[in-house]
Amino acid sequence: MSGGRRKEEPPQPQLANGALKVSVWSKVLRSDAAWEDKDEFLDVIYWFRQIIAVVLGVIWGVLPLRGFLGIAGFCLINAGVLYLYFSNYLQIDEEEYGGTWELTKEGFMTSFALFMVCVADSFTTGTVHFMSPL
Amino acid sequence: VPRKRKCALRAVGVGLLLCGGGIYGSRFRFTFTGSRALSPWRVGVQGRRCEMSTMFADTLLIVFISVCTALLAEGITWVLVYRTDKYKRLKAEVEKQSKKLEKKKETITESAGRQQKKKIERQEEKLKNNNRDLSMVRMKSMFAIGFCFTALMGMFNSIFDGRVVAKLPFTPLSYIQGLSHRNLLGDDTTDCSFIFLYILCTMSIRQNIQKILGLAPSRAATKQAGGFLGPPPPSGKFS
Repeated sequence: MSGGRRKEEPPQPQLANGALKVSVWSKVLRSDAAWEDKDEFLDVIYWFRQIIAVVLGVIWGVLPLRGFLGIAGFCLINAGVLYLYFSNYLQIDEEEYGGTWELTKEGFMTSFALFMVCVADSFTTGTVHFMSPL
Repeated sequence: VPRKRKCALRAVGVGLLLCGGGIYGSRFRFTFTGSRALSPWRVGVQGRRCEMSTMFADTLLIVFISVCTALLAEGITWVLVYRTDKYKRLKAEVEKQSKKLEKKKETITESAGRQQKKKIERQEEKLKNNNRDLSMVRMKSMFAIGFCFTALMGMFNSIFDGRVVAKLPFTPLSYIQGLSHRNLLGDDTTDCSFIFLYILCTMSIRQNIQKILGLAPSRAATKQAGGFLGPPPPSGKFS
């Protein structure tokens, strides 16, 4: 059972199959928010991963962080940040959602592909600026 | 006209004038008398910069193409599949059954009665049949999309053939280089070809578009049908 305290909240409406209403995002940063709908919480995890992928992709491309170190760094940060979020900050019971592995792989491949696109785009942009006339 | 509005209009007018002047002035190149001719090195740098600018434009274009093709695919699927009553009925049935089955599996224990286990097996069988029917309904759109995309990919491949569309900050694994360095000249394996970037864009953008539009299948239904990392859950696991 989860060790966190939970306040009872009226059920929040959610759009079908993955899109989230604005009211859901207002719960995201509250550690005492109640997540009655499992799909809603998993959608939040999914979109958080996409945001992390875009942010890290742009930063990695601009730095630039070359080689597989960058890819490994992304995987660790992506998994680690979300793990800290749902385990330490929200203190949810991972077993309710199928375990830590289910939460870790939620949206991971899509975020990895998005990261690759962002890193290629930002790295190419950075290379263009580097080649600007003297 | 209120004074603030006059100032704003004047600022907009000046801005437009400057922009127009800048665009017009960029046509001319001013050189000072006695200036030296460009060295071959600088010519090479400027040539390379032009190539990189084209590469950057190609990168953005491919992302845009990927968004458009994802929307096109979903549009075709909506016309042929999503709006039909049969699909809506089957989808609702599959989602209802998946959620019911999941809840039942969570509450049942190993020592549950034989009748309950048989009931779950029957429900799993029914769900499998509905999933199969749903896949058959989607098959129509898959053929149409496959046909359209074969034509589109042929066109894009010929447009971007031999062009380096992006630079990768790493060297891909050897078996991926066949895709990332496809039809490119030279040995620089950090050069990225159209098809590799397009595949990455499609993998990321299409699923996100499906989620935003609310067209992605539910997790319970995906789990029962079999996900990316594993086969469908075994039926009759309590027998």
